[in-house]
Amino acid sequence: MQGDEVHHSPETAQLDALKAGHTSAWKEIMVLHGSGLLSFAIRMLGDRGAAEEIVQDSLVNIYHTIGRFDGRCSIKSWLYRAVHNSAIDEIRRRKRYVDVGIDAEENYFNEAGRWINDCPGWDGLAAKRLDDKRLLTLVREQMDHLPHTHREVLLLKEFEGLDTTEICDALEISPGNLRIRIHRARAALRAAVVGA
Amino acid sequence: MVYLKCSVVVGKISEVIDGQTSLMTRMRFHGHIMMCKNCRRYFEQFKRVKEFAGKVTSDDLPPDFAHVMGFVMNEIENKDV
Repeated sequence: MQGDEVHHSPETAQLDALKAGHTSAWKEIMVLHGSGLLSFAIRMLGDRGAAEEIVQDSLVNIYHTIGRFDGRCSIKSWLYRAVHNSAIDEIRRRKRYVDVGIDAEENYFNEAGRWINDCPGWDGLAAKRLDDKRLLTLVREQMDHLPHTHREVLLLKEFEGLDTTEICDALEISPGNLRIRIHRARAALRAAVVGA
Repeated sequence: MVYLKCSVVVGKISEVIDGQTSLMTRMRFHGHIMMCKNCRRYFEQFKRVKEFAGKVTSDDLPPDFAHVMGFVMNEIENKDV
């Protein structure tokens, strides 16, 4: 039957095995995604202990509720969505959540859309300070200080390597919103590095 | 035909470096970049930020998550828990 083809896709077969409670399927999921989920949570929370707890609880919760998963997004997106939501809950609980649409570029241009001041270069004296090692350290430091809405998109896109659909599904946002967030996140990170 | 406003060019940088723009947009974008020192600098800095953002966690997060995995697998293997 033509319509049965979808049931033979690797993702669907994997989901069937997960729903059936096959231990090997759950092990495979954790080997595939566990490390990425943990590193994402650590970078979101800045606290390895809390991140471990969140990933543990999220995965156990997913195990108990897998029957409700309808397959509208990938398993990977669903896992990241669960860990992301738990991390945001934890951040809100700690009252450290900063959800602001910082637009680092908004004051750079005049009414004609031209630069008001020259864009500061990373050459000359700055180049000595901003060799690759120093720049990596700065980016690392400043990323931890970005608002969470900025940090999460950079982590998922640049480090975890999720594609646009996976990130949108994980964060429950539109592709247009994602494009704006990624641009603002990079602009904020650049501004933070320049200003550091 | 190139973009005339620097603010428009800067707003498109992420889409350009992510390869999410049309050929026409890229031509208009790079046409402006060739002529505008400030936008060129900003573009180069954005590319470096993107490059380094991708390196942030790879070397400072221990890949060992056996503790987490062990806890979860224990829950799964003891299904009555």
